[in-house]
Amino acid sequence: MKMKRAMALALAAAMSLSLAACGGSDSGNQPAAGGNEAGANTSGGSAGGENQAAPAEGDKVVINFFHRWPNDPKNSMFNELIQQYMAENPNVTINMDCILNDQYKEKIRMVVSTDEVPDIFSSWSGTFAQEMIASGNVASLNDMYEADTEWSGKIAQASVDGFTFDGQIYGVPWSQDGKVFFYNKKIFADNNIQIPTTWNQFIGVLDTLKAAGYETPVVEGLSDSWAILHYLGTMNQRMVDPQVLAKDYDAATGEFTDPAYVEVLNKWQQLVSYMGDTCVAIDHETARNTYFATGEAPIMYLQLAEIPHIEKVIPEDFEYGFFNFPAFEEGKGDTKALTGAPEGFMISNKTKYPEECQKFLKWLVSKNGGEALTTKCGDISSVDGAVDETNALPAQLEAMDIIKYASFLAPWFDNACDASVYTVYSQGAQAIATGDETPESVMKQVQEAAASIH
Amino acid sequence: MKKRRNIEALAFTVPALMILGVFVFYPLVRNIIYSFQSFTLSSVTKEWVGLKNYATLLSDKIILTCLKNNILYALISIVIQVGFGLVLAAVLEDVAFRKLAPTLRSIYFIPTVISMTVVCLLFDFVYNPQMGLLNSFLEMIGLESLTKIWLGSKKTAMYAVIAVSQWQSTGYVTMLFIVAIQKIPRDLYEAAEVDGASKIKRFFYITVPQVRQMFFVTMILTVSGAFTVFNEPYILTSGGPGTATMVLSLHMYQTGFVKNNMGYASTIAMLIFVITAVLSSVQFFSFGAEKEER
Repeated sequence: MKMKRAMALALAAAMSLSLAACGGSDSGNQPAAGGNEAGANTSGGSAGGENQAAPAEGDKVVINFFHRWPNDPKNSMFNELIQQYMAENPNVTINMDCILNDQYKEKIRMVVSTDEVPDIFSSWSGTFAQEMIASGNVASLNDMYEADTEWSGKIAQASVDGFTFDGQIYGVPWSQDGKVFFYNKKIFADNNIQIPTTWNQFIGVLDTLKAAGYETPVVEGLSDSWAILHYLGTMNQRMVDPQVLAKDYDAATGEFTDPAYVEVLNKWQQLVSYMGDTCVAIDHETARNTYFATGEAPIMYLQLAEIPHIEKVIPEDFEYGFFNFPAFEEGKGDTKALTGAPEGFMISNKTKYPEECQKFLKWLVSKNGGEALTTKCGDISSVDGAVDETNALPAQLEAMDIIKYASFLAPWFDNACDASVYTVYSQGAQAIATGDETPESVMKQVQEAAASIH
Repeated sequence: MKKRRNIEALAFTVPALMILGVFVFYPLVRNIIYSFQSFTLSSVTKEWVGLKNYATLLSDKIILTCLKNNILYALISIVIQVGFGLVLAAVLEDVAFRKLAPTLRSIYFIPTVISMTVVCLLFDFVYNPQMGLLNSFLEMIGLESLTKIWLGSKKTAMYAVIAVSQWQSTGYVTMLFIVAIQKIPRDLYEAAEVDGASKIKRFFYITVPQVRQMFFVTMILTVSGAFTVFNEPYILTSGGPGTATMVLSLHMYQTGFVKNNMGYASTIAMLIFVITAVLSSVQFFSFGAEKEER
């Protein structure tokens, strides 16, 4: 009995302690934060003289900034940039918060239509951007672009297009990316192979490589459904009439009855036959690091943003080049298009400080952030002239050129159409690779899925 | 006196009921309402669609695949975790293993305390077709013909995924049975031994009937676990290749958070709830009735 009472007392003590601790930290935090602000305020006053851009003294500006890059090096890059900005603008406090991809998608979807929407948040282009805009809480930035053409002129137009809907620009592109075939230069030279520009030439190259002893002339990790979708998105764009494609990708009118879609999956079936048996059981990273980087597979369809990953795993004498997805002989789409998309930032129209948000974004998406993004993280910045030969890899500069000269950026498949459609597509394409489905049966399922969301 | 006890009883149960109400019953009721609506994570209003989601459920072919896989999961889990787990527990509690038992118990229990994600990544390596342990092992012992692309083939993928759960959970169920066996009075065994009952007979006529209660607990655990399984297929295959390893909760997750169709996802959740509720109550009442007979 005594024991029990002692236990109860101890428990009660522990609980009240923990409660007190909560309260303590709360009340402790408040004055501390206040103290910080006061400190910032005084320094703001002194800096105000030098820095004309700073608004009137005592104007506390707190910007909530939410993005999807919690991993290093990006997280520390953002931290450094924000520290730098806050040092230059002492009246501004930027609260940065970040979580990774899928969780980010879930959270931003939940908060975007509420009052909790962050002032500045990152967004993909295409359907995801549209979904954000549909919440009614995303500010149109046309004025921002028009008011400062010196700044906006440097932002890659193809990427701004990804955030433009009905003539309204809703975002500032930050990074851009494109998907091209990376090839092993040495193997191509050894076997006297020319860069293919059409599908039949491409298949010819694969045959040559196979004959030369490369069991998997082209490789992909098909357990990653997004990797499949990247292929199918490009192939649909190259093959199908653009108007039909636009109609089918629209959730309200999608039918997917054009025979060209079946043809795309036939080509897919043809393509995966060159990828070896194991391709369905491995993921993209494994395929890249253990097949392409080792020279076992001479060709792989990769994102330009993967250049830094490739650089990390290849041996020193490994040389690689790029070529865009070849044209289908019977294709109706633009063959100069590049599959890829920008990612960028949006400003909420509920923010209390729209001008401060714009000012920060203009500062971030310029040489300041752009150079850091490309040199520290290896991503391709959307800012023209952010990097040059002195601080970027030659491959990155070539990549920037490829994006610059693409006729337009065709969005990733999983950004271009409804998830109900593309999940059926990726599952079906996977089953085609394992031999469990045919192109016709998959298209039938896609048609059903498209009809179900009308 | 009685009144005071009532007040005491209330004082102790109300907080628990409130917590249950807020975190279990309220979401459950909300989920029932959601299952009649159509909305996305970011939509401002929820559209009432009546039974449309339930109609979709009936015509959804993936649901059939899921049900098939979940049932397979449940059956194999019952046989291996409950059946084999019980045998394992009985063997470990046998006098012959008295010295080794503590070590073996720990070894069998280790997988249970490893995080599911770690286990799945581990098995990703085991199943790797090129450098994976499993295929290398088969090659080493000359069974090259048996090497397979375990996670990449429709025929083997589901079994490969189920095997991971068995590897992880059997030790846990065994542990539960060991506890139950240790509670059996020793004199029962001694009496049987005097009567000349073999070890196998003692297992069937003493151990099995005596651990019936634990049997009921482990059955509920494994069966409801099998119908709510998510981590293993999500991490190992994400339902692929094609839809070969799709299970109900994964389908629900993808419908809700990938396809952004929360209404229909709630309907799938209702299906999972009904299945597990029915199975649990069937087991509960059948075992409960037996208990009263005794």
